[in-house]
Amino acid sequence: MIWRTTRYRLLKRLQLRESWIIFFILGNVMINFPFLKIFNQPLTLMGFPLLYLYLTLGWAASIGVIYLFTQTAAPEHHPGETPPPP
Amino acid sequence: MTFSLLQVTLIAATYTGLLFLIAWFARRRSDSGRSLVSNPLVYSLSIGIYCTSWTFYGSVGKAATSGIDFLMIYLGPTLTAFSWHFILLRMIRISKESNVSSIADFISLRYGKSQLLGTLVTLIATLGIMPYIALQIKAVSTSFALVSGITSRTIAIPGTVESLTLPTGMVLTAILAIFGIIFGTRRLSSSDRHEGLIAAVAFESLVKLLSLVAVGIFITWGVFNGLGDIFQQFQSRFPQQFTRLMTLSTGTDGAAIPASTMLLMSMGSIMLLPRQFHVMVVENADQRHVTTAMWLFPAYLFLINLFIIPIALGGILLTGSAAGADYFVVSLPLLRNNGGIALLAFLGGLSAAAGMVMVESVAISTMLLNHLFMPVIVRITPKQWFPVLLINLKRFGIVLVVCLGYLYYRLAGNSFMLVNMGLISFAAAMQFLPAMLGGIYWKRGNKAGAICGMGLGFVLWAYTLLLPSLIATPALHPLLANGPFGIALLKPTALFGLIGMDMWSHSLFWSMLFNTGAYLVCSLLLPQSEREKEQVHRFIGSFEQEARAYRAALKRLSKPVTIPQFTALLGKFIGQGEARHAMESYLVERQLEPDSAVEDFELPGLKRFVERTLAGSVGAAAAGAIVDSYLSDMGSRMESVYDIFSTVRTSLDQSREALYVRLKASEIMNRTLDLQTICDDLLQLLLKEFKLDVALIQLRKNSDFPLEVISYQGSDRRPITPEHWYLESEPYFKMAMIDQRVHLVNDLHQLNGILEMEKTRAEGFVSFAHVPVFREGEECLGVLSVYSKSIVGLFTEEFSNLLTSLTGQLAQAARLMGEMEAREAARRTMQQAQLEKARLMRDMEIAQQIQLSLLPEEPPAIFGVELAGRCIAAAHVGGDYYDFFRRDDQTIDLLIADVSGHSVGAALIMAEVRTLLRAQANRATSPGVILNALNKQLHDDLSRAELFITMFYARYNAATGRLSYANAGHNRPLLHRPGETSCRELDAEGLILGIKTDVVFEEQSIALQAGDVIFFHTDGIPEAMDPHGELYGVERICLHLSTVIHEPAARIADSFYDAVQEFSGSQALQDDVSMVVLKILT
Repeated sequence: MIWRTTRYRLLKRLQLRESWIIFFILGNVMINFPFLKIFNQPLTLMGFPLLYLYLTLGWAASIGVIYLFTQTAAPEHHPGETPPPP
Repeated sequence: MTFSLLQVTLIAATYTGLLFLIAWFARRRSDSGRSLVSNPLVYSLSIGIYCTSWTFYGSVGKAATSGIDFLMIYLGPTLTAFSWHFILLRMIRISKESNVSSIADFISLRYGKSQLLGTLVTLIATLGIMPYIALQIKAVSTSFALVSGITSRTIAIPGTVESLTLPTGMVLTAILAIFGIIFGTRRLSSSDRHEGLIAAVAFESLVKLLSLVAVGIFITWGVFNGLGDIFQQFQSRFPQQFTRLMTLSTGTDGAAIPASTMLLMSMGSIMLLPRQFHVMVVENADQRHVTTAMWLFPAYLFLINLFIIPIALGGILLTGSAAGADYFVVSLPLLRNNGGIALLAFLGGLSAAAGMVMVESVAISTMLLNHLFMPVIVRITPKQWFPVLLINLKRFGIVLVVCLGYLYYRLAGNSFMLVNMGLISFAAAMQFLPAMLGGIYWKRGNKAGAICGMGLGFVLWAYTLLLPSLIATPALHPLLANGPFGIALLKPTALFGLIGMDMWSHSLFWSMLFNTGAYLVCSLLLPQSEREKEQVHRFIGSFEQEARAYRAALKRLSKPVTIPQFTALLGKFIGQGEARHAMESYLVERQLEPDSAVEDFELPGLKRFVERTLAGSVGAAAAGAIVDSYLSDMGSRMESVYDIFSTVRTSLDQSREALYVRLKASEIMNRTLDLQTICDDLLQLLLKEFKLDVALIQLRKNSDFPLEVISYQGSDRRPITPEHWYLESEPYFKMAMIDQRVHLVNDLHQLNGILEMEKTRAEGFVSFAHVPVFREGEECLGVLSVYSKSIVGLFTEEFSNLLTSLTGQLAQAARLMGEMEAREAARRTMQQAQLEKARLMRDMEIAQQIQLSLLPEEPPAIFGVELAGRCIAAAHVGGDYYDFFRRDDQTIDLLIADVSGHSVGAALIMAEVRTLLRAQANRATSPGVILNALNKQLHDDLSRAELFITMFYARYNAATGRLSYANAGHNRPLLHRPGETSCRELDAEGLILGIKTDVVFEEQSIALQAGDVIFFHTDGIPEAMDPHGELYGVERICLHLSTVIHEPAARIADSFYDAVQEFSGSQALQDDVSMVVLKILT
């Protein structure tokens, strides 16, 4: 319950135009050099190539971030969610 | 295992039939109002049209040859999705408002509905998309050949198996074109959403996702032992290749396209490719769907790419090399003899290609129609078959787009891998970026900048990318090897000596540099036109725009137009049936009755609706011009004579000029609200177009004012005096004003009337006309007069009709202007009044300060006596007053007075009383005498001011303990003695001051004892009212006094104030409250 309201408040605060821009820029930085260079190495992690893991997991994470954000924009998608404090 | 040609064709045909069924069903649902496609899931899936054969086949090929960098094409859109919340939503909002039908429409709209810009965008889109369509044709015909049993790689090269391959590509092209025609041109109005098309596209997106995932699962778990197994096997068998494919090349050797180039291109293209713009903006049913698509679409991309690397690596492992990797998706299942999966893969690839070609060709044909064909068509004589012509032109556009793609496929289809072909189109789409982003975020971006930037970018793109891509053997061709005319600096692939870059990055760099540069420089250096400025507000400052558009619309409509008239206008372009249908749905939405008169406030909305609907089929630029010119004529008395197309039809040559003047005039009127400018410009236009010598406009505010020359244009501009020649025409002015008709003289020398007009004749004028300025059904506002020195018989009926039409518009502008001035004046008066009030308040506050300072700061100290005085004014200034005068150590005078009213007058009188009393105070006279003297002195002033004063004057001697007093009609003070329950009232005979000049005031005295409290007060206390209307009264005062009698004097005074306040509840004081408390201590 507390977690829900806290999460809601936090996301509500992040639900700003600025956040979108910041994430947009952050994403750009993450998949450009020199950041990319860190992972651009012929190593494997548990049998998977490092860069492959980085891109795939990073991608999935960013989709998750967008998902979370858009959910606060439309709280009616959560019937179980406690109504937002005014 | 393969299939026979017949089998494959049959299955593909069945699948196509299924698509048609879905489209048909969606259309039926949409017609019956239960839209199938208006939901976020379908919207996201339709954006999935981004994934074409490129993704389906090409990505695997790319992954197998250059490695993991193919992912950039999909990471870019995911990043861009973060920006949809502001960029895409804004684009959708603007597009919905103006009924934008394509990206060309959008960009040209922003830059002042520029026709040229629209044409340029269309050209770039049409040529830019060629390689992309070619890619689809190539991929599908190759996979078709593979599935139908011919596994040879050479199959795609025309000539090898002449009888088979050639038809495949061509037949496919024809089928794709038919797809587009059927789904895309059911209706002409392209801003109507194509529900059938979108349903088919969404279904195809689903099919390609499922089939690619199925192939992926088959390879990963059917052939190998999971993902880890593929990676391990690959690493051990091809360690070098593993390293190369699983890292990004830094891209300096010029061989590979660097990841950043691909990232940048994909970020731009996801919104700028014509088909993406079409599905994301034009076909958007609800803005809320964007929110879902923001994560659902990236998730779609993620899923569809999940198995690309396993398929690519698995393919290399199975076949031993990366040759033919573009078709691993089909060839691997075939290799493992799994025909079912291969067929599924083929259908997925077919879906991917067909969807793309359908939407792309529809989007581009719309542009072609609106921006290439339409500008030509609006010039020719319209006929009954107008709508039929338009829809067929649109179909022709679709065929043209697909055929261009086929042409490119035949010319260059074999030199490139699929992805590299697609990137050529991406680079073309990127040329829209500066004008697009600048358009929605930078106010100063202008048309010149957009045209120069885009034009330059396009030329560079064509020169550095399109041209080299068409040359089969780049290394040997003299142009590429040595540059044009042997100038090495101009080599298309190493422009200005830039070498070491791959072709795509090289082209992107130069074209974007020049594009952005020219856009910025031209925008900064050149001004924006008025039309553009209007659009800037629309695109960037959206609130201001609403009011503006409304005002502009209101201004254009001077006379009500009926709904059937609008319907008829619409019908000329989109067909009668469609027009009626569209109008009906609008009327239902606005709850209007067809055929009834339209309320004034509905008109601007209706006009916008017509403009939008027209924009859907002829583009925003043409729609604006059509409706504007139509309406500007409706505003005059000429709608029966003139309608934009029929006039052009009946009298083509003579109306050309008139039409131009009308358009120009309505431009002038809409450009500004300043009447002077409108008049000046209008007259200048007339002078210039009709070779007139003098033109002037006279207007009057209303019938009480004489005519006044507002604007005088033309030769001999001497000062206007009573001797001026134009005044000879005054009888004409008057006649025109009275009968509201044009009065003209076509040959002054033939004038055998009563009027001589000597001066006019002497000036050399031969003909003139006077046109009344008025609105239908209203009184005349003025006269427009035109004079010619050269042409006899200038004023034909046609011409005078034109002039009447113009004055009709002018009257509208003048009336609007008058209203605005009146509003402005009213606003100013109100402001003045507020200012005045504020100043007064300030004065009153100062007066209050002064008045408070006139009251004694604190009572004098007399042994054995305690004194306290309070005065709280109800208004800023009041008429209450009390004072103390200390005569000697033991004697003190005290008084309390009330000047009637709370005005400043009362306050001034109070000040006068104070002055007079101070003068009296030194004389050792008794209270009665003092009051008597005061009355005499004040009488005149008081009666002049119609005021009077009540006053109680008392003197207390501490040595004798006696209080002597006189009363001039004031409230009787109350004496409360300790131990007694009731109060005594102190009274003496006397008349209010200011009634009679000579009044004798009775003097009384009383001996006071220790503990006595005397409470002097004004009527504010007993007359204080509670919310029920009950008065506080003397009894309550007495009661209260008995409870506080032991308190110090100051405390007693304060407690009374609190008590009164409490009694009257929340209400403000009705009257000033003043009191003096005298308490005897010893």
